[in-house]
Amino acid sequence: MLSRIADSLFWLSRYMERVEEMLRIARTHYIYSLDTNQTSNSWKPILQMFTDLSADRIADLEHDNYSVLHYLLIDMNNENSTKNIILRARENARGIQDQITREVWEEVNAIYHSINRPFITMKLASSDALEIIDLFLKHSMMYAGITDVTMQRGTGWNIMKLGKFVERTIETLILVDKQFEIFDYDVSKERDITNWRFLLLSLAGYEAYLKNYRNNKHNQQLLHQVIFNPDFPHAVLYCLNQIDRSLRVLIKENSNPAVADLLRTFGRMHSKVKFTDPVALLKADVSVFFSELKQEIQDFNLQLRSIFFSY
Amino acid sequence: MAEEHFLNEYVYHENTWDEMYDTKNIRHQYSHVFSMLKDLDVDSMSNRHRLAGELFLNQGITFTVYNNNEGIERIFPFDIIPRILTGNEWDEIEKGIAQRLKALNSFLKDIYHEQQILHDGIIPMELIASCPHYTREAYGIRVPYDIYVHISGIDLIRGSDGKFYVLEDNLRTPSGVSYMLENREVTKRIFPDILSTSNVRSVTHYPMLLHEILLELTSAQVSDPYIVILTPGIFNSAYYEHTFLAKQMGVDLVEGRDLVVDNHKVYTKTTKGLKQVHVIYRRVDDEFLDPLMFKQDSLLGVPGLLSTYRKGNVAIVNAVGNGVADDKAVYAYVPEMIRYYLNEEPILNNIPTYQLSDPEALKYSIANIENLVIKNTNQSGGYGMIMGNNISEREWLKAKSEIEKNPRNYVAQPIIQLSTVPCFINGKIQPRHVDLRPFALYGPQGVKLVPGGLTRVALTEGSLVVNSSQGGGSKDTWIIDNA
Repeated sequence: MLSRIADSLFWLSRYMERVEEMLRIARTHYIYSLDTNQTSNSWKPILQMFTDLSADRIADLEHDNYSVLHYLLIDMNNENSTKNIILRARENARGIQDQITREVWEEVNAIYHSINRPFITMKLASSDALEIIDLFLKHSMMYAGITDVTMQRGTGWNIMKLGKFVERTIETLILVDKQFEIFDYDVSKERDITNWRFLLLSLAGYEAYLKNYRNNKHNQQLLHQVIFNPDFPHAVLYCLNQIDRSLRVLIKENSNPAVADLLRTFGRMHSKVKFTDPVALLKADVSVFFSELKQEIQDFNLQLRSIFFSY
Repeated sequence: MAEEHFLNEYVYHENTWDEMYDTKNIRHQYSHVFSMLKDLDVDSMSNRHRLAGELFLNQGITFTVYNNNEGIERIFPFDIIPRILTGNEWDEIEKGIAQRLKALNSFLKDIYHEQQILHDGIIPMELIASCPHYTREAYGIRVPYDIYVHISGIDLIRGSDGKFYVLEDNLRTPSGVSYMLENREVTKRIFPDILSTSNVRSVTHYPMLLHEILLELTSAQVSDPYIVILTPGIFNSAYYEHTFLAKQMGVDLVEGRDLVVDNHKVYTKTTKGLKQVHVIYRRVDDEFLDPLMFKQDSLLGVPGLLSTYRKGNVAIVNAVGNGVADDKAVYAYVPEMIRYYLNEEPILNNIPTYQLSDPEALKYSIANIENLVIKNTNQSGGYGMIMGNNISEREWLKAKSEIEKNPRNYVAQPIIQLSTVPCFINGKIQPRHVDLRPFALYGPQGVKLVPGGLTRVALTEGSLVVNSSQGGGSKDTWIIDNA
């Protein structure tokens, strides 16, 4: 496969994953904001995660639902807005139309055309906002399904999986880290399930959590669910297991000597998540654990680039 | 009382060949479609028109117009009523194009080797010497099977006498074949019944034919030939077509930056390392192909490609230097080429063409400008064209001084009233002028055409300019055999 094509597949996949995750977070928070009084429910953590707005601008916006939704979803001045991400996903897809199936291309193209429709802006500024968020969330899940059903399981597929799960690992880590940061990583005090609901809903894992975990040691259980659970699709361990599988296929075909370095970086990170005990982690420093992981996945990403995508 | 049916509102132009009506009656090739359209009303037609637009948009068959930094996607206009030719008419076109291509191909071989046609005085030497598309870098290069024009799109028009004439020979990187194929697919969706009962010859095998020819060009020693399509990239207006053909043939679509030349061989850069390329179907123009030989600042091509080509280590399709054969001034000599190389009379006629480098012709053309079209020999796509019947005094004075400065760069032709076909525009059925671009493939087994081609329509009332860059649209083109 051409390196340029691999690069575009990787980024198409990352961008589409980011769209889905951002929309789910926006959806959860929007619904939250309708339930509680506005002062206690600020968009600040979300704006900090997904935008580069100054502290002053965030302070202006944080309680204004519709302005925030506009900025997060369709503002072209926001480099990371859903609209801009979709635009870039489509540009990547356009350059590799001969490598993705017609069905995948048509779905990406349909999402792009649909976010450009004028009524989106109008509805997003009204009580119909949720309808719009749901529309694009459906679209992005449809994309995931179409990709799964139509794409051949070859090099391209594995590159796409790398993109998807690298992005998901990063998104989960950022979100979990942010939630812990809100209470200064103080895990000595047991927290109520309602404190964690936002995080679980944003990762599409609330119901699974209720089914999986029986007692009320929520801090520990939550950490297990979002980081160490090998069966929960948004858990870091699950993502790393998926990366591991695709990586094994891809390196078989590659004789680049730098592959050994890549495997070392990945293996270290993977074993760390695989073999850390959540109970022990709660007694140590969670924030260090998160920030190390965030750094390691970035290093891995850079090495991946230089081996497979440099052209 | 029932309202007048929209089909009955059709009024064709006087003194123009209308492809549906001969003076009073419906021509027999249109009678079946005509009677089926009778069962539809304007709303149903409008719905089909809208559906066709959606189909093009959803598949991304669009080009981008930039406005206030925001890209707006537009589709190329498509008219839903097919343009119909009979099997007999087509057979004549097919023979004519095959003949013309054989002559043009012989000319290209000759002009880059012995140049007999110049020595025998059939074509003046100074015409070739002054042709900007004559590529000295290609002199003496042997190409596989002596084929230069693998892929061509010769433009035909139909005059008021009902005969087809050759308007121009596109022998470099003609585009539009994906529209021919997609137009047919869209027709299948909007008029399934009419298509299936009309006995229309199929065009869908074009990508297979092309793939076979590309495979045949590789040397016999290569068991698993690697074929790529070279595109200038996503900003090229024909980019959709490049991806379409790559998909339909199952070959890689590459950009210049994906390729590298090492030791006179071309490779792609892949996730597994370098992989040797044997055939390049390039959609990049000659002058951008190799920065070491042509434009030095071109990022679209591959440094060293031409030396690889000269060594015979890669086949390039179409051959480098074909521009000399579709130059608008050389065009006038194609009938002579047919007589010279094939000893045959041309089946398809040229449009009379005056070389303005000839002082007599220049004088005549300036005196009779209102009946003539003047074309710049170095431009295509409908640019640099002066329609003498439709030019303001001031523009003409300006153009005239340009022409007098460098008459070699211009030819004049009488304005031909292109034939008209019915189109469904704004809820009404109206005549519009069309041309026809059949797509021919030239391989070791000879010339092959798929029955049909791209019919381009000048959508503006009365306009004779069909180029898509100038507001033209397209139609599905049916070759039907009588049941």
